[in-house]
Amino acid sequence: MTAAIKTSGLCKNYGPTRAVIELDLVVEPGQVFAFLGPNGAGKTTTIRMLLALQRPSSGRAAVLGLDSGKDSVEIHRRIGYLPGELTLYPRMTGQQHIGWHARARGLRDLSLAAALAERFNAVLDRPTRELSKGNRQKIGLVLAFMSRPELLVLDEPTSGLDPLMRSEFARLAREVVAEGATVFWSSHELDEVQRLADRVAIIKQGRLLTTETVEGLRESAPQTVHARFTRPVAASLFAGIDGVSVTSCDGCAIQLQVTGAIGPLLRVIAGHDPVDFTCRHAGLDELFLAYYREPAAPESSHAR
Amino acid sequence: MHAEIAWLDLSNRRRSLIGYCLGMAVYALAVVAMYPAFRTSTSLDKLIQSDSTAAALFGVTGRISSSGGWLNGNIYANFLPLIMLLLTIGYGAACLAGQDEDGTLGPLAVLPVRRTAIVVQKSAAMAAQAAVLAVTVAVLVIIGRSFQLDVSVANVASISAAVLLMSLDFGMVAMAAGALTGRRGAAIGTGTTVAAASYLISSLAPVVSWIQPGRYASLFYWSVGKSQISHGVSPGDYTVLIVTGLCALAVTVLAFRRLDLH
Repeated sequence: MTAAIKTSGLCKNYGPTRAVIELDLVVEPGQVFAFLGPNGAGKTTTIRMLLALQRPSSGRAAVLGLDSGKDSVEIHRRIGYLPGELTLYPRMTGQQHIGWHARARGLRDLSLAAALAERFNAVLDRPTRELSKGNRQKIGLVLAFMSRPELLVLDEPTSGLDPLMRSEFARLAREVVAEGATVFWSSHELDEVQRLADRVAIIKQGRLLTTETVEGLRESAPQTVHARFTRPVAASLFAGIDGVSVTSCDGCAIQLQVTGAIGPLLRVIAGHDPVDFTCRHAGLDELFLAYYREPAAPESSHAR
Repeated sequence: MHAEIAWLDLSNRRRSLIGYCLGMAVYALAVVAMYPAFRTSTSLDKLIQSDSTAAALFGVTGRISSSGGWLNGNIYANFLPLIMLLLTIGYGAACLAGQDEDGTLGPLAVLPVRRTAIVVQKSAAMAAQAAVLAVTVAVLVIIGRSFQLDVSVANVASISAAVLLMSLDFGMVAMAAGALTGRRGAAIGTGTTVAAASYLISSLAPVVSWIQPGRYASLFYWSVGKSQISHGVSPGDYTVLIVTGLCALAVTVLAFRRLDLH
């Protein structure tokens, strides 16, 4: 099956600044794919290269099996796009925006646009300069989804939306994926990502750190172990165990992080007269934050 | 997509275009209506002839009391080109670089349309706006024949076309600079600088000998600098104006296809 998105060695440099570095990414069709990273990680630059808004410095990108540069018109025909900083024409109403986009895309049936507008409670009869950011964002979502695209490229789509509308967006994304579309979604909202995404890619300073299913990430997340003993223990007792790192050691109490099998650690703990023991998997929030906080890559990079 | 991008720009700019047209219509009407009061003024002719440099700067050639001199000195050699350049350079700078800066070009560029088509539609929108303004003034000048202005409809039409082409050329220069740099300020600066230099060269060439050879490089010379209001616009004039515009259009297309958008 053709990948919805595939990049090979994709790079983007702005002068000496490396915004995206050797990005190899595959997004299979029919899933919600979350593209995560802190500000300036290279998410928006990657999206712009996928849509041929910007030219890669090197590497290749294919969207829906088509070359992102040479076949951009056909790609644009089959995608829906919501930019990270949506700017609408201030004097035009939402209805005029929808009408114009429909004509520009050759759409005659506006029933889906009307249904989407109703679903998001979008204000369509006032000039967009009079609307709040959230209300403008709703119009942006209608414009992105109204042509029933095969691939939705959404850059921070829930920015400015209230919790009710965020839930509505999540339901809509699930519905279109169930109908066979793919949602490529850049976000900062970790809670939403955990609830909605099938797969997650994390990018930092232009480099892809990992691509994994949400379940896979959960399973690979380190476990945090708290143990309390009758007598003070030395951190060095645990430091040598494979996959174990000591987070804190305070006399009789110790906190450890464990990656992999926990058996060797349990045997050491059992031999030192424990009085209390807890073990829990790190949440995805902690995992993402751990990725974000990793030391900077050796090359200086910064994305736009 | 047929011409949706051009229609969108024309629709969004209709208010300012109406303002331009109303302002120029009132000015042109005032100029033609005042002509009977000046047509017999020999003192004004003497004043102009006594200071050829000042006359050249204002684009006045020959007798200002003649119909051609009056229209050239008050409309076609300076004020109309100035207003039309405001319109075309302003739009040329805004339609690519300006829209990219304010974030409206990216969503437009992900529509199923080639970048070349975007430039062509934007150029067409610019031509349509400038044409409406040029025609408005031409109609008022032709009406001015009832105010004793002795000027042929053919000459008014041809010089209006020449001013239109010249303003489009400078607008395309601004658009090309915007496509090359992605910056509205650079686009306005380039278009304005080239237009100002062109105006000065054409105006001063008759009175400053060392500038005279350079007049061929001035688009003002090819559109209004040879008393075209009285003698008509030659095929050579049209050729220079059209070829210049097409070259600027080609540069814009090539640059815009390579421009990184936001």
